[in-house]
Amino acid sequence: MNFNQPTRRQALAAGIAATTLTACSRTPRHFPVGKVTIAKAPAYSMDVYDTVFRIVEQHRLDVRGKRIVLKPNLVEYDAHTAINTHPLVVHAAFEAFRKLGAASVTIAEGPGHRRGTLDLADAAGYFSTVPNFENLFTDLNADAVAKRAIRSPESKLESLYLPHTVLNCDLLVSLPKMKTHHWAGATLAMKNLFGVVPGGVYGWPKNVLHWAGIPECIVDLHHLFPRQFAIVDGIVGMEGNGPIQGTPKAAGVLVAGSDVAAVDATCCRIMGLNPARIDYLRIARGEDNLGESAFEQLGEPIASVKTVFDLMDVWKPARA
Amino acid sequence: MNWKATQNPDGGWAYSRGCSWTEPTVLVLLAQSAIGFDSDCFAAGAKYLRSLEGPDGGWRPQSGVAESTWVTSLVGLLPPVVVGAPRHSRALAWLKDQTGRETSWSFKLRQRLNGSREEFPDGWPWFPGASAWVVPTSLAVLAFERELRIRPDSELSARVAAGKRFLLSHMCADGGWNYGAGRALGVDGDSYPETTGVALLALRGENVGRPIAAAKKHLAACRSAEGLAWLKMGLAAHGQSPQIALEPVCRTNTDRALWAMAQAPVNPLLRP
Repeated sequence: MNFNQPTRRQALAAGIAATTLTACSRTPRHFPVGKVTIAKAPAYSMDVYDTVFRIVEQHRLDVRGKRIVLKPNLVEYDAHTAINTHPLVVHAAFEAFRKLGAASVTIAEGPGHRRGTLDLADAAGYFSTVPNFENLFTDLNADAVAKRAIRSPESKLESLYLPHTVLNCDLLVSLPKMKTHHWAGATLAMKNLFGVVPGGVYGWPKNVLHWAGIPECIVDLHHLFPRQFAIVDGIVGMEGNGPIQGTPKAAGVLVAGSDVAAVDATCCRIMGLNPARIDYLRIARGEDNLGESAFEQLGEPIASVKTVFDLMDVWKPARA
Repeated sequence: MNWKATQNPDGGWAYSRGCSWTEPTVLVLLAQSAIGFDSDCFAAGAKYLRSLEGPDGGWRPQSGVAESTWVTSLVGLLPPVVVGAPRHSRALAWLKDQTGRETSWSFKLRQRLNGSREEFPDGWPWFPGASAWVVPTSLAVLAFERELRIRPDSELSARVAAGKRFLLSHMCADGGWNYGAGRALGVDGDSYPETTGVALLALRGENVGRPIAAAKKHLAACRSAEGLAWLKMGLAAHGQSPQIALEPVCRTNTDRALWAMAQAPVNPLLRP
């Protein structure tokens, strides 16, 4: 499959043309300084509950009386590898938002890879870890949908059908796994939103996103959800041929914040990737806004948790 | 099976809960047609389905979606009387016009200009304008074969043959199928139970020894109702009678319908 090749070529051609035409009048984009928390979490133990609560509390999120949707990354029928977001992290987030007064906390996911979402969640350990899981969970592949226009799209898409559950929430909490990705370089909080695109409409996988340009669609989806928070499960991530066939890699961290692109850029640094070489981050923020000084780092310094992830050959040029 | 208990007021069925969708509704109707039905419940389901016909003759996956998609092949698998013969014919005509984007003339032209001579057999996409994939191709092949059992049609026969070539060319190294490519970036992908089962069913009549072995291997490890049902139907289509020791947990309407179809004496997907 070389579905993203034309888009990249087109993007490169367009980039060169745009640079030539606007070289003299380019205005740098500015973003508010995002806060990113890096918390050490050496294992999937009960300590995770306290760590996640402290992270959410530290960011002073206004969640009292709000509808929260937690969006983990559920990919494969497997509780023992590092493919899925660990259910303990999801349950810890669930408990934290409940404790902070959220009116409702829903867990929702639309896997892009396998169709039996509930069976998948069961095999991934969600039923045994999260009490009453089935009643708290919404399969985003099978939810009611509404069409949303994409204003100023980066991709070739003009609109997308999206599930009511995520369109109607007050805060969408992306709970991805820290993984390398064979097409995107890294799959973190922004890429995790591919899972809100309904498979019941677009299929398994959601191939329209591939044709429209993977990095560009990641950015478009990010813009469709302005109220987000992210907690990246990097306790054990995945290196090499992610997001499915890679190798578990213990990084021992949780990385979180409301500025999701900043969270992803920080995760890249922890993984030994240069965020400016990850297409979707560069499109979302511009190369000038991805430096370490662009974000306010809370908790542990990057250097103290840096764990270099092995990369496929095609992504080695993205090494920091 | 009390299908009425999970039927929505609009006559359709949800995948699990919430709004009705075409896919679970068709599967429940097919299951009912195989194991006995409640006529009021069936009629309400059929009425709901008829409301989802698109202006282009294809079928929409649910009422909130304007475009016709792969679910049209499921409607093609129903006896024509369920949605009415003219609607059924329009569904098949819509399906005949669908191919994966990689076999569109514009893509082929671009490939040629790029120096590629790679040929892709015609399959079917999930959503118009995307690539062909294993599940929609398998279901379209089954829908057309159903029609061919009633009347010969050289165009449909040609699409069936191409669809089968597509499936054979997308087999994984382990002999089964996953959703799409058996290999990505030079690395073999693993096959899955549900996709191996549905592809085997669509390849009825073909010599597929290795996939049968792969399906049997999946059957021993698979726990999902969806996977076991498709494996059982796929293997039965090749004269195999697999025994399943434990009845799976059926969590959704699609699970219940697929499992009922897999237990039926005659598979409703293979009936004229």
